[in-house]
Amino acid sequence: MVDVIKKKAKEVQESLFSSVGSSVLTIGTSYLVLNFFRGMFGFVMSSDKDWLAVLNNMQLYMVQAYPESDFIRVWISVGLTFVFSGVSIGLWRSDDRSNISVMFDRFYKLGLGVLFFTIVAPTFTSYMGNDGYVITEEVFSRSSRIGMLIPVLLITVGFFLLKNRKINFSFNNSDAVFLYLSIPIALIWIIELPTIQLDQNKDRIIPDPLMPIANTTKVPWTVIFVLFLLSYFIGIYFKEVKRLKNIMSISWFLLPLLIFSWIFKKPQIEMAEVLTGDIPIFLIFFAVGLGTVLLINNPIVKKYYSIYIGVVIVATIAGVFISIPMLAKACLLLLGLFVTVVPAVSTSQQGKKSLIIIWAVALVTLTFLLRGGASETGIVVPGSSIFGGFSLTWLLAIFGTYVSFPLGVLLALGRNSKLPIVRIICTGIIELVRSVPYITWLFFASVTLAVFLPAGVEFNLIVRVLMVTAFFSGAYFAENIRGGLQSIPKGQYEAADAIGMSPFQKIGLIVLPQALRAVIPTLVSSAITAFKDSSLVTIIGLFDFLTIGKTVIDNQSVPVNFVGHQRENLIFVAVVYWIFTFTLSRRSMKIEKRLGLGER
Amino acid sequence: MKNAMKYLLFFRNVVFLKWAFQVIFLFGILSIIWNYIQNAIVNLADTNIAFSWGWLGETPGVSVAEGMYTLPNSGLQMIQTGMINMFRITLTGILAATLLGTFLGIARLSSNYIVEKSSTGLLEVVRNVPLLVQIYFFQAFVLSFPRLEVFEVGEYFIHISAKGLAFPWFNRGPNAYLLMVYTLIVIYIANKIYKWRVELLEKEGRDTKPFLWSLGILGSLLVIGWYGGFRAAGVFGFLAGYISLGLESVPAIVYQGLVSGVAIYIGFKVTKAFIDSKKSEEAQGIYSDDDYFKIILNVVVVLLIVLLMFSSIGAGFAGFLVGDEITFKADWGLPQLFHGIENKLDWYPHIDLEIYEVIEGMKKAEITNWLIKPGDNITEGQVVATAYATGNKIDTQEVELKAEYTGKVESLIVEEGKAIKIGIPFYELEVTDAAPFVFSRPKVEKVNETSKFKRYAKGHGKSLSVGYFAIWLGVVLYTAIFISEVVRAGIMAVSKGQSEAGMSLGLRRGALLRLVVLPQAIRVMLPPMGNQYLNLAKNTSLGIAVAYPEIVAVGQTLYNQEGQTLPVFLIWMAFYSSVSLTISSIINYYNRKMKIVER
Amino acid sequence: MSIIQAKGVKKWFGDFQALKGISMEIAEGEVLVICGPSGSGKSTFIRCINRLEQHQEGEIVVDGTELTNDLKNIETIRAEVGMVFQSFNLFPHLTVMQNITLAPIWVRKKSRSDSEEKAMELLNRVGIPEQADKFPGQLSGGQQQRVAIARALAMDPKIMLFDEPTSALDPEMIKEVLDAMKELAKSGMTMIVVTHEMGFAKEVADRVMLFDEGMMVEENTPVEFFDNPKNDRTKLFLSQIL
Repeated sequence: MVDVIKKKAKEVQESLFSSVGSSVLTIGTSYLVLNFFRGMFGFVMSSDKDWLAVLNNMQLYMVQAYPESDFIRVWISVGLTFVFSGVSIGLWRSDDRSNISVMFDRFYKLGLGVLFFTIVAPTFTSYMGNDGYVITEEVFSRSSRIGMLIPVLLITVGFFLLKNRKINFSFNNSDAVFLYLSIPIALIWIIELPTIQLDQNKDRIIPDPLMPIANTTKVPWTVIFVLFLLSYFIGIYFKEVKRLKNIMSISWFLLPLLIFSWIFKKPQIEMAEVLTGDIPIFLIFFAVGLGTVLLINNPIVKKYYSIYIGVVIVATIAGVFISIPMLAKACLLLLGLFVTVVPAVSTSQQGKKSLIIIWAVALVTLTFLLRGGASETGIVVPGSSIFGGFSLTWLLAIFGTYVSFPLGVLLALGRNSKLPIVRIICTGIIELVRSVPYITWLFFASVTLAVFLPAGVEFNLIVRVLMVTAFFSGAYFAENIRGGLQSIPKGQYEAADAIGMSPFQKIGLIVLPQALRAVIPTLVSSAITAFKDSSLVTIIGLFDFLTIGKTVIDNQSVPVNFVGHQRENLIFVAVVYWIFTFTLSRRSMKIEKRLGLGER
Repeated sequence: MKNAMKYLLFFRNVVFLKWAFQVIFLFGILSIIWNYIQNAIVNLADTNIAFSWGWLGETPGVSVAEGMYTLPNSGLQMIQTGMINMFRITLTGILAATLLGTFLGIARLSSNYIVEKSSTGLLEVVRNVPLLVQIYFFQAFVLSFPRLEVFEVGEYFIHISAKGLAFPWFNRGPNAYLLMVYTLIVIYIANKIYKWRVELLEKEGRDTKPFLWSLGILGSLLVIGWYGGFRAAGVFGFLAGYISLGLESVPAIVYQGLVSGVAIYIGFKVTKAFIDSKKSEEAQGIYSDDDYFKIILNVVVVLLIVLLMFSSIGAGFAGFLVGDEITFKADWGLPQLFHGIENKLDWYPHIDLEIYEVIEGMKKAEITNWLIKPGDNITEGQVVATAYATGNKIDTQEVELKAEYTGKVESLIVEEGKAIKIGIPFYELEVTDAAPFVFSRPKVEKVNETSKFKRYAKGHGKSLSVGYFAIWLGVVLYTAIFISEVVRAGIMAVSKGQSEAGMSLGLRRGALLRLVVLPQAIRVMLPPMGNQYLNLAKNTSLGIAVAYPEIVAVGQTLYNQEGQTLPVFLIWMAFYSSVSLTISSIINYYNRKMKIVER
Repeated sequence: MSIIQAKGVKKWFGDFQALKGISMEIAEGEVLVICGPSGSGKSTFIRCINRLEQHQEGEIVVDGTELTNDLKNIETIRAEVGMVFQSFNLFPHLTVMQNITLAPIWVRKKSRSDSEEKAMELLNRVGIPEQADKFPGQLSGGQQQRVAIARALAMDPKIMLFDEPTSALDPEMIKEVLDAMKELAKSGMTMIVVTHEMGFAKEVADRVMLFDEGMMVEENTPVEFFDNPKNDRTKLFLSQIL
């Protein structure tokens, strides 16, 4: 035992006090860090902060002015996302197992952290009042410190002893996620905090009654957690079905589209439009696809097939400029993709069958989503968009990526092209877009873009922002992808040429798969940057997550008074952004490692 | 027959297809652009806001919160104020972020557990929170301090209030530019002397003490400079005066011709060199498609420049250099530039003294009686004129305007009986006696005797506005974090073998870092570092969120005033593109230089 | 009737002339070995046959089709001429099986099951059927090169080009690749091989050529070439390499 302590002491000495300089640094940094923590604690606890400003406005933060009567739609959106996650975690359930002591170790470390805070937390804190005098008040009394210290100490010691005992029990790492998540779910029922409640006269009841945190939302959250767990078991049950994983991946791509066009939006469907527009277009395109697949092996069709592809591509491009229904344009694009794939896949009866099924499913999905997207919303939000708060932040982040990624790929290919005019134009676009800050482009979207649109065409500000973001993020994506393209050795192009591939096959089958794989980490960090940058829409007056915290709550006066409580809200906003970006970047690191393993 | 077949099948010819595709692509892009321009023309005609640059010359009805011209006399001057405010943040920010970032980067590689963990912690916090949220937080932080009104009048050392942050500072006096130029010259001389002594040392093989020599000369020249010697730099003002005179006589068309001529000359040189390289014996004059394209592109670019130069755009550009109506008003244009240098760097600098706010709420002053005439010697604090102060919120009353510096009156700009706005110069002074820099502490003063409002006194210490503080701290911290990653990666990129080789030669830790590791790491670090500088420059545009008047904020104010969104947007684009281009070419220059040194 | 005819083929890279007028004919089923010092234009020449490089003067006719800028001709020739590279150039993101079936499916538009059957047969032929589902990165250099040969053969080419197929390999792996090539030569494939493996040339080649500075210096049967070289340049080259 003494040896162990001696060894530890020596380690500490070597790490922290190896030289005079090192010791000075250690003490200086510790002083700074300790004071930072104490200051933070005092800041959070001091009586001039009103954390109810955050807690009471959670609904505003999440959906802003979305009407309460339609909240079920919000919950379905959230629930669906969790169900999808549950199924995915189940499908990709890892076989890694950890010993129970790992879990105990986590709790032990958590306990140590709490213990540390309990010990270093300041008893008194002071802040400067508006009159310039410093007010000092007690925030953490001796009795409450001791009252907290003893149980935390006991629990920590308990976990320390548990973790050092050799218990022969291990658990699956994926399972543990649910165990950890059940803790906050339980806590929202148990922990009670003062909550703002209004009486019949819409006056605030004083003092604030104690209520569980998430008082109004604890039931939906619990239901969602249960669904999450159930879908996890479903996922595990279908783990062996290989095709389900592919379907799941595509579904993840479609989920946001579904949520934003149907569930969240509550589209008002005009049956007349469906009957006269959607269904005929669907039938026509389905028939064309069906015919293509069935007749592909006919020698005459085979002979003129390349002309057919050409006609479809020309029609697609022409379709962009002439005024035909949006659905027809999208279907043409899809048809262009479809007819290029058909000859390679439809050589066997089975291949033909699955092609027809895929074609039908794709067309139905497209029709369905576009109908929802193009219809008027049934949600009535006075003077604002149906998207606000966190839902708007997500909308901007996800759709910003959706629209900018393909554009980024095209720009990168163009900049890397051997054709000089294409190269110069793409380089020009990328450099011009990148050299100007995002906020300038946002102003362009909000005030200047309308000037360039045909008279009579008006887009919602959110749509205009997405249009501009497509170019802005697209240019950044393009630079990343170009890095990937340049990392592909020349030999790959030559080998593709040597086996007789056409330029499009070369790009689609050889170049892009490798280039994108090489740049996944940078792409993820670009997406994270795009997520963070979406907060800039605050400046042009959109009601995103940050605007709620910065401006909206700060203006609430009756019956509550949150004027001047901006810092609490900003800290909350920062913490939420931090959680998302931090988890995303950690995830991407893991994915990067896994990819590296699979490939080489 | 065979050749005929070749022509018949042109649509299968790879070269033909390649160029046909490109021409169609170009045509497509141009038609889309043309389509949008058409839309814009139609739309602008509908809204009655014709696209124009005229507002650049007109006095905007708004003021700027801080900066070079708080009451700009023209749109151009207002934009200039925004640009300079942007550079204030960018340049100081780059310096601070580099220092802090390097420190943090090294801290993250430290073997000290606490130092390493806390710098990593800082990194994870700052990196994962949107910059805008951080800037808002810093703003809210300063705003949470008490208002300035609760503090006593008097001098402080460091002062922070809801009005901003103030600290002691060396403030520039009228002679500051003379001293700065003088110092630069002295440093140049000292450097030359160092090199000369080193040369001598190598030639004669005796210790010529180069360092001591250059330091001694530097020191003594600086001392001479401080006690008046700095006026030697006035020779530059003298020269600038003549250059300014010369430039004034150059008509605009000369610049148009000059630029076209230079473009044609460079284009001709480049193309000729290219063709010559193809004419060499080995190349046998064989051109690929790309080569033809390059030649055509060169010609097209030169033609385009010449065409532009002799169109209205070129005339505008030349007018800009000559100092046409718009630029003259804003003191832009080459002659004005040199005239400005002449005034600042003369033996005795000339300054225009502006009407200042004598009492609170005063907007205009009407000079009633000049107490001085050109050629008079005046001393600081002497009353130079009496005037009626007017404003919306105050009663008209008589006030005394006092001299701010000692010197000789050059000319009176405003006649008696004429009302002028605050911030407009009213007489010109040749300053004879003023310290180049004045060290002072911040001072809280009442706006005037009777007012309950207070402010940081001008010329006492330095006060940073809330916006400046928030945006500066925000971009510095954010960029420093990313720079620390660059520094860390750069140091780690130097292989362990290099350090081991250095150590085996007996180099100490410091020398190892300085002589072996850093020179190699810097090569790796430079390009990403340049990117971070670019990001910093672009991120200063968030100043608009905290009411810091940099170019985007100023532009927004202007288009809200004038309705000219498109020209403002074009100015933003031109400005940021040139800043990006400048920073990246500086970085590229150093990058190339280092690579050459390496070989 | 010869399957490849080249007449006065010239090629420049910028200022540098890589080929200074190469003329030759290759008969069907013939195995031709080209050797020469590096930078002598031998790789450039065989890359011209596949139009990975464009020759600027002269003409090349492959199986009755002249190589011009005509897209159709290029497509035809690439489908008939297989190529094996010095650095393998396998597609790292695809499995061995996918590497081999890629071109039959997408270029020849064959069905997946037929292509996979054929691929298995080819893998058997080059002796690594068990590696079908691995990624190229998991194979040794020799195995990778044999996959590359199988990939080229999957297109049923009439002619195979080998661009220094063994020079990026460790000595113990060279043999396995050469064995695969010998077997191919015996089956009657027309082959042009750029290599420094003189043993291979002696044993398999019908003709040997020496390139130097963009010109063909000597052309001979292997026996004559090695035992009785006519040209001084050949003697010098052989003395350096043997």
